[in-house]
Amino acid sequence: MSRASSARSERPWIPLAVAAGAIAVGVGFAFGMPAYVVFVSTSVLVSMVSLLGLGIVTGTAGMIALCQLSFAAIGAWILEFLYLDTPLPAALGPMAFIVFMLIAGLVTALLGLIVGLPALRLRGVNLAVITLGVAAALDATLQKISFPDHGVAHIPRPFGLGYDPQGDRAYFIFAVVVTVVVALIILAIQRSRTGGSWKSVAFSERGTASAGTSVRTAKLSAFALSAFVGGIAGCLIVGQITQVNYLTFTPINSLGLYVLSIVVGSHLIDMALFGGILFVLIPEILKQMRVPLEWSSIAFGILGIQALTTNTNLGSTIRAAIFRRRRQAERQRAAESDVTSTLTTTTHEAPIPAGTGRPLLVVENLTVEFGAVKALTNVSMTVEEGTILGLIGPNGAGKSTFVDAIGGFLPQHRGTATLDGQSLDGLPPHQRARAGLRRTFQQDRVPPTMTVGAYVRFVTRGTADALAIDDALAFFGCPEASTPLSVVDVGTRRLVEVAANLAARPKLLLLDEPAAGLSHDEHIAFGDRLRRAPGHFGSTILIIEHDLDLVRSVCSTITVLNFGEVLATGDRTTVLSNPKVIAAYMGETEML
Amino acid sequence: MNFVVALVVGLSAGALYAVIGVGLTLMSVLTRVINFSIVAVGVFGAFLSIRAVPLLVQAPPEVRTAVVVAIAVLVAATISGLLGWIEATWLAEASTTARSAVTVASLLMLISLSFVLFGSRPQPLRPLLVGPAFVAGDIAVTKVGVALLITAVAVAVAAWIVIRRTPLGVQLRAISDRQTAAELLGVNVKALQIGVWVVVGGIMGLCISIIGNTGAADATSMITLVIPGAAAALVGAFKSLPMAIVGGLLVGALQGALTAFPSITLLRDWIPIVVIILFLLWNQRKEVWDVAR
Repeated sequence: MSRASSARSERPWIPLAVAAGAIAVGVGFAFGMPAYVVFVSTSVLVSMVSLLGLGIVTGTAGMIALCQLSFAAIGAWILEFLYLDTPLPAALGPMAFIVFMLIAGLVTALLGLIVGLPALRLRGVNLAVITLGVAAALDATLQKISFPDHGVAHIPRPFGLGYDPQGDRAYFIFAVVVTVVVALIILAIQRSRTGGSWKSVAFSERGTASAGTSVRTAKLSAFALSAFVGGIAGCLIVGQITQVNYLTFTPINSLGLYVLSIVVGSHLIDMALFGGILFVLIPEILKQMRVPLEWSSIAFGILGIQALTTNTNLGSTIRAAIFRRRRQAERQRAAESDVTSTLTTTTHEAPIPAGTGRPLLVVENLTVEFGAVKALTNVSMTVEEGTILGLIGPNGAGKSTFVDAIGGFLPQHRGTATLDGQSLDGLPPHQRARAGLRRTFQQDRVPPTMTVGAYVRFVTRGTADALAIDDALAFFGCPEASTPLSVVDVGTRRLVEVAANLAARPKLLLLDEPAAGLSHDEHIAFGDRLRRAPGHFGSTILIIEHDLDLVRSVCSTITVLNFGEVLATGDRTTVLSNPKVIAAYMGETEML
Repeated sequence: MNFVVALVVGLSAGALYAVIGVGLTLMSVLTRVINFSIVAVGVFGAFLSIRAVPLLVQAPPEVRTAVVVAIAVLVAATISGLLGWIEATWLAEASTTARSAVTVASLLMLISLSFVLFGSRPQPLRPLLVGPAFVAGDIAVTKVGVALLITAVAVAVAAWIVIRRTPLGVQLRAISDRQTAAELLGVNVKALQIGVWVVVGGIMGLCISIIGNTGAADATSMITLVIPGAAAALVGAFKSLPMAIVGGLLVGALQGALTAFPSITLLRDWIPIVVIILFLLWNQRKEVWDVAR
């Protein structure tokens, strides 16, 4: 069943077929509809491209950006400038519009990168205020300098298309093709590792870095691509109305676009199209009914509040419903064929893995101070390749601090760490992850916006194919790859996190209380799987765990931390019977 | 001299930004929301209140003014309270981002409604205070500017006293820090939060009545004053009331002082936002990660 589901997600020809169909429908529409309808429909496409661009930052990467039309304005300005104030149009001939559109998009992307820079330190609504400030400042600037056409010159349309209805129809087809290409590119990037990094960074920056992805690259690439698409939308507007002014791109319109993006969920391609239709159709209907156009913004405002208060958007609601129905159908099929797909339960318990004798991680004199508090003092430790080392200790002993420091999240620490002979000192978290050091978190850091399979692919940085992903998921008894993580419970999500990180086949995996939230039976099954993991994935494991039953059943070596210092280290039976360890644990647990 | 005049004019505008910044910071601290509609509710109150003027022609001027201002405060407080009720009812557990996004949606609504109701022409919204507070040579400091600065400081001080020194303040701090814990202790979270919205909305109604149409030409431009106001609050990272006042004066002073240099007219619109971004990047340079652990 899981094989079938991964096959379903891998049909790359579907988007291309839909794209070809969309262009065919567009051509039919262009010649079958009245000229006015075609002209207005071009606005739908322009809004859709704007929404698609905005969806990258707000929908996928989870940041509030209130300056999308500023990017459109910049794109439009550059296009007009290139047409009117440079000798390039004559040189480029009919291709001028397309070349200029690409240049405008690229320059806008560069500016988007600059607008995105504060996002590296400022988050959430702070960023919203800044983007709104940028929108207001650009609006003021445009009012002063105005566009290069100065309200007199008309910008030529691509391929010498005229301004007559016939030209409008042809330009609509041009807009359809541009929109389809933009949608295809965005879809491809959303499904790529970059798209995964956007969804991941929206949920957790630490989780993203630990998966070997630079948070900086993720955020800036989202802003740059969003601005690029915004710039393209601006050029499309110029081509449609051939003259623009600052009123087309006011900050209020950017607000409206943002609210609409929330209502429909514009990171989803089909919903961006729907949003574009709403953005144009509602004012158009009001115009026919002779109602002031402002009422459309009021309607968008109400829809936006409704979407926010119910915490849904149209796109996600529809997709959740489709998923439920498919799941139901699958269950029914499974029940009918009565396939008892029992898990590969093994009769004999796997032994505790023995190491190769080679030291993999060597930590020397690790000291971490938070102000006057010494969280770790001169901690030295060696993890042998191929083993599972248990790191235990009472609450506040410094276990998670140790993992944070080794993972690269506490750059101010003293001491050294080498992994497989390579020094980790000074490396940021994502580079440590790439060097083969992975970690999981105590908190839920698994982005619910992805599917299980997409998440595993993201964490493995594309090194695992569909088979390897299914194998890792089956190994830990996780839900199948096509399941959305939003329907997976928190305990299982942490299993998925462990499976994904092992599927990345790291040299060393640091597990921070992976079994919290699992039932007793799941605990036992988890321990058995963990013992097999070093052999199966070729990874060494360091596990922090409070459940000493689990530690005893999987670890060959145990290190005990207490008050930030190593209390005892060595063979598990020796350590667990050490009187000092028992004293440190007294009252902490009754398991000993 | 020109420069000093421009600076003082800018500082008067800065006093308004300071009030808005203080209001935004208070709401952010107490109700976990960046209220983009904060100025819009005040503008609505003030603009609706002038509709009552024709009904009051018989009344003595002082009574008329008092009634009009009271209406402005009431209307602004009611609209703000309504928004607060929406937030407290459906978005009690939601993230700051989602709660703030609601105020973006309501801002869009209020801007559009203001077009419908008030049009884009200037309205006879007489400022409460007219004329200079004091004059020194070419420099005239307006009463409005002084009054707004006093309001900003007074609101900040009053808020500080209430929050730090009264039982109500303990409850307010409790609901902002640990809402669920406060709820379990029997604190009426919803009423308190709506209360904050009502009070801040009322203050904004009063402030817009004070500045009247001296702040901006029409309702919509007035509503967009929330942008420099938010910039002011940003200086205090939406946490510090004194820094919000400083930020407001800073933004106003920068804008004013820069008018003295006509050659950089284009840069003028950008300098405040760039200065704030640079300040914040420096101030938040240690915030490398989204969460502490």
